[in-house]
Amino acid sequence: MLKKIGLTTTVPVEVLVTAGYSPVDLNNIFITSEDYLKYIDIAERDGFPKSLCAWIKGIYGACLENDIKEIVGVVEGDCSNTRALIEVLQLKGIKVYPFSFPHSHNLKDVEIEIRKFMNIFNVTEESVEQTRQRLNKLRELAKEIDELTYLENKVNGFENHIYQISLSDFNGNVDNFENSLKDAISEIKQRKPINRKVRLGYIGVPPMTGDIYEFVESLDAHFVYNEVQREFAFPRAITAKNIFEQYYDYTYPYNTTFRINELKKQIEERKIDAIIHYTQAFCYRAVEDIVLKKQLDIPILNIEGDKLNVLDARTKLRLEAFIDMLSDLKEAN
Amino acid sequence: MRILGIDLGSREVKIVVMEKDKIVIKKKISTMKFYRDYCSFDGKVIVDLGKLDIGEIDRAVSTGYGKNNTNLKLFTQINEIKAHVYGAMYQTGLKDFILLDVGGQDVKVIKVEKGITTDLELNEKCAASCGRYLENMANVLEVSLDEMSKHYKDPVELNSTCAVFSESELIGSIAEGVSVEKLYAGVNYSLYKRLRPLLSKFKGKQLILAGGVANNLAIREYLQNDYSEIISIEEPQFNGAIGCCYYGSRFLRED
Repeated sequence: MLKKIGLTTTVPVEVLVTAGYSPVDLNNIFITSEDYLKYIDIAERDGFPKSLCAWIKGIYGACLENDIKEIVGVVEGDCSNTRALIEVLQLKGIKVYPFSFPHSHNLKDVEIEIRKFMNIFNVTEESVEQTRQRLNKLRELAKEIDELTYLENKVNGFENHIYQISLSDFNGNVDNFENSLKDAISEIKQRKPINRKVRLGYIGVPPMTGDIYEFVESLDAHFVYNEVQREFAFPRAITAKNIFEQYYDYTYPYNTTFRINELKKQIEERKIDAIIHYTQAFCYRAVEDIVLKKQLDIPILNIEGDKLNVLDARTKLRLEAFIDMLSDLKEAN
Repeated sequence: MRILGIDLGSREVKIVVMEKDKIVIKKKISTMKFYRDYCSFDGKVIVDLGKLDIGEIDRAVSTGYGKNNTNLKLFTQINEIKAHVYGAMYQTGLKDFILLDVGGQDVKVIKVEKGITTDLELNEKCAASCGRYLENMANVLEVSLDEMSKHYKDPVELNSTCAVFSESELIGSIAEGVSVEKLYAGVNYSLYKRLRPLLSKFKGKQLILAGGVANNLAIREYLQNDYSEIISIEEPQFNGAIGCCYYGSRFLRED
């Protein structure tokens, strides 16, 4: 039985797998659990403020309730709340290994951080590279599912979201997950394309409100792009020379300008009509919306989620109004 | 191509005909009269276009206040949010703005970015922040709406959140001998105060005012402090009907 290690966000998982760990993305446990509200509650009872992102509290509760003894905490490049979160987890006796995506976003600095990470887990660059090659096979499969989403329209937005996001921890078992990806691909290929009027891009952190996918479909629209989920799956890892390049070429933790270049490419390639930018309540990423709206020449709707795991009536109304007018424009063209 | 746009409001039905992107006919009929004298019912409301006396029509689009039957036979029905946004876009040429529409019985605040609605808020709970409130208060004060709407200085405090209680509060002030100017301003200011919380979520630079209440000078004066620019449109009451025509000319596909 492999030892479990909890993740607060995507980290160089190749290192952990090489070291004989089974990574567990705490976000995934939190959001897929029927007890998700209980996890938030546990955190609030332990003193986490009401006015704090529900993800942080959910991760905390999920970590304690699922008997996770060790975690990797990303202290730079993700949110600064994580830094405080891991301090509280340490207080609870959980062993924390820190990791940083350096703000400088310089290849050399990324390499330094990953080497530090490899030293902590006592693994060599060569063995990590072997693991990377192995995991890249799965990344290629995930990429294929993504292509089946936007090129052939055979995968709906929610499935795409789930498959891409699962590459942060390979659902706890690399071999099993590889088989399920292969099965999925052969099943998907048999399908008929889903044609909906409006092509949307989903950007921002994965939603608390998973029903957004189904809801937009009811309005004759669908998501053909899940930005951060796709980044978690590392579609460009296959062409990266080594692990350092792979984690350097990753848009999630660095600056907005770098992220925007990739967004522009994807909007063009996937023929996206408009963007839904999801941000979590109390998160600094909502401020980035200003930059994104300015830099991307495409309609953008910013929606915000907090604790609820379903869309509220007001957000639904906003999505309806937005998509309704997009459909008009589509009709006119 | 001639396009007919009808906005079925709670107080009045607004009718606009557009030809080659220009407004050629505009008329208002009281809502009661419209349904009684111009329509018949056969599963759906049928409008007698002959009686409206607007000439030949190629396309017809309707919108209206949510609770009314706005789904007219042979008309394409669009929602009121869209109708008002398109009306404002047609009349101002702007693509980024906040639209405040205060009608007879409801209030809409809509945020438009890059020509598309991104946020909205509707007030459907009480008419104390709507045109009907101003009408009632003007009746109590025995003054015309136009005259009352000119006064904004030194308003008397009216603190009731309810339109009916406000009436008795107003009468109390009349009895105390408060000047009519202060009373007029007080009514306008109390409406503005009820709009303010709704607007607080919609900070921005340009505010377009539409709906009948857009003609109220005092409200415009008060709003001036909250936005860099208040944009008036020429036909605030016809905005929804104009939006219907705009939709009909730009987006409606021939079947």
